[in-house]
Amino acid sequence: MGWRLPLRSLWRNRRRTFLSLAVIALGTSVSVFVLGFLENSRVQIQDSTVQQFGNVQVASPLLWEDAADGYEYLISPADAAQLAALLAEDPAFRGSTRQLQFPGLLGAGKLTQVVSASAIEPGNGVLDFSDLAVEGRGLLPSDSASVFVGRSLAKRLSLSVGDAVTLTLTTVNGAYNASPFRIVGIYRYSNEQFEQQVVFVPLAFGQRLLNTDGVDRVVVALDSIASTNPTRDRLKAGLASAGLTLQPQTWDELSPFYKQLAAYFDALFGFLTLAISILVFFIILQVLTLAFLERTREIGTLRALGTTQGEVFRQFFAESAWLAAIGSLAGVVVGVLLAWGFNIVGIEWLPPGTIDPVLLASRIEPKTALVPFAVSVFATLLSALYPSTQASRLRVVDALRVE
Amino acid sequence: MGAESRFCHVRGGRLLEAAQVTKTYRVGTETVYALREVSFSALQGDFIVINGPSGSGKTTFLNLISVIDRPSSGEVFIEGEPTSAQSEGRLAALRKTKIGLVFQSFNLIPVLTAAENVEYPLLLQKRPRDERQARVATMLAEVGLSDLARRRPNELSGGQRQRVAIARALVGGPMIVLADEPTANLDSKTGEAVMDLMRRLNEEHCVTFIVVTHDPAVSRYAGRRVRIRDGRLEEGERDGVAASTS
Repeated sequence: MGWRLPLRSLWRNRRRTFLSLAVIALGTSVSVFVLGFLENSRVQIQDSTVQQFGNVQVASPLLWEDAADGYEYLISPADAAQLAALLAEDPAFRGSTRQLQFPGLLGAGKLTQVVSASAIEPGNGVLDFSDLAVEGRGLLPSDSASVFVGRSLAKRLSLSVGDAVTLTLTTVNGAYNASPFRIVGIYRYSNEQFEQQVVFVPLAFGQRLLNTDGVDRVVVALDSIASTNPTRDRLKAGLASAGLTLQPQTWDELSPFYKQLAAYFDALFGFLTLAISILVFFIILQVLTLAFLERTREIGTLRALGTTQGEVFRQFFAESAWLAAIGSLAGVVVGVLLAWGFNIVGIEWLPPGTIDPVLLASRIEPKTALVPFAVSVFATLLSALYPSTQASRLRVVDALRVE
Repeated sequence: MGAESRFCHVRGGRLLEAAQVTKTYRVGTETVYALREVSFSALQGDFIVINGPSGSGKTTFLNLISVIDRPSSGEVFIEGEPTSAQSEGRLAALRKTKIGLVFQSFNLIPVLTAAENVEYPLLLQKRPRDERQARVATMLAEVGLSDLARRRPNELSGGQRQRVAIARALVGGPMIVLADEPTANLDSKTGEAVMDLMRRLNEEHCVTFIVVTHDPAVSRYAGRRVRIRDGRLEEGERDGVAASTS
């Protein structure tokens, strides 16, 4: 009778039961869909952040703290070689590339634009952006005075592949330097500001322009995002024991935007979940209170037959548990189907500050289903506490008098 | 069959005793007496009919001796155990093991079948499944409802429902069965059949029956008659013999 009585009581009041189940399922399915959507957005941003920064970057603390006087943060070739040896020992290591970033003024005819030049190792494969080329090609190891510019910058300065531009900069010694470059390709990126500001040049040529053999950072690619923190910790220990005054930073430490966005998504989902939970809580509370009120005489009978207060509570709470389990499970199924159908339709939108439309999708994975399921079950059970307690505390004689 | 032979002849000690029991209610600023210093006792195998008009305190008295309510003063003893200061849990245990209840409106659990309704007290007693099934089958056979075991209460007539309620009251092996107006919602013929059944079960099981009714016709089944009026008990005859007032 432990499960039969609660289930049959639910079945007896089918209309009310279905209403309760519908409320719980609706709340759960909306949560599943929205959490899947937020999770998908977060993963998209996470992937693009890792694509932009690599998993880990190693540089002097002076660079990270923006405390350097001039270019004193540069990593010498000897230190870079020692770091490369350390990285090669890491089990999650997939590859690394050296970089040298410096500000400059890009001139094309009468038009100029302040840019951030990123001198990279062409053909390295870790972070050379060649696959983002929409016109021309990315940089090649054989390139010298070549530049790979963003689509927005090309549009702003009316540049095409093959055009010549001039990059003016200050060397590490503080002298002015300028050099002509040939545009070998135009890249696209999800961020318009990035496209306008960042230009890529070959590392060797960049070092020559800056009059240095150093680099400002080493970008590290790992086998997975999950390997980031363990590798960072191993690197810290390795750098300290090797006596190198270098510091690793992870992709999320390098991107405050991602951190803020992830926190915003969490807050958004938390707020939505809270709102849905409150709604589910009060509707189910109302439904159960009415349902139990209608069964006052039955409760009196059960108690008169010797059912204890605790047993009555458990019996009525069990009804709510069935409602919670079935409603939440149905909600997960509906939410997953909704997400699946939405993903098939393939709706695109243009996020602010981006160039290319992004596919709107709701990510279906255990986390996006389990969290709403657990929250709905919790809200339903919480709403059952009060009416179940009231039902169990009824005075038997009073309950039996109710017609 | 004479009156003497109709009832259980095994006489044990006092199963139930009410000593100077008073029950009052507050109505506004006034205190209303539902029962005044009532003393009463029942022996094993008794078939007692408590008769009285509406509002005389019959149901209040039944509620007190079935320990679903507590007296304002005085004491109710079940097998010598005082109950008025017992915890709700202990009173529930007494009802579960020692007392069977039959209600005027049958009070069957609507979502359970006849057999499941009868089984319910055994579940509370945590009896093994095999024993439960055997006892339910026996009880349903005794009340003549074996064929209707799978029916829900709404698929049974009033008389059949009351038979299920009687089976439910007896299945847990109580010492006392308390019935509150068991024939009030039945036609006279069905009421007679129900009373015959209770009388037979009293005889066969030697379980004490206390029947509260306002129906004078029920009194003829009594082994002992008690009258209640204005909250006071007046002892009537025992099996045709005049008895002393409690």
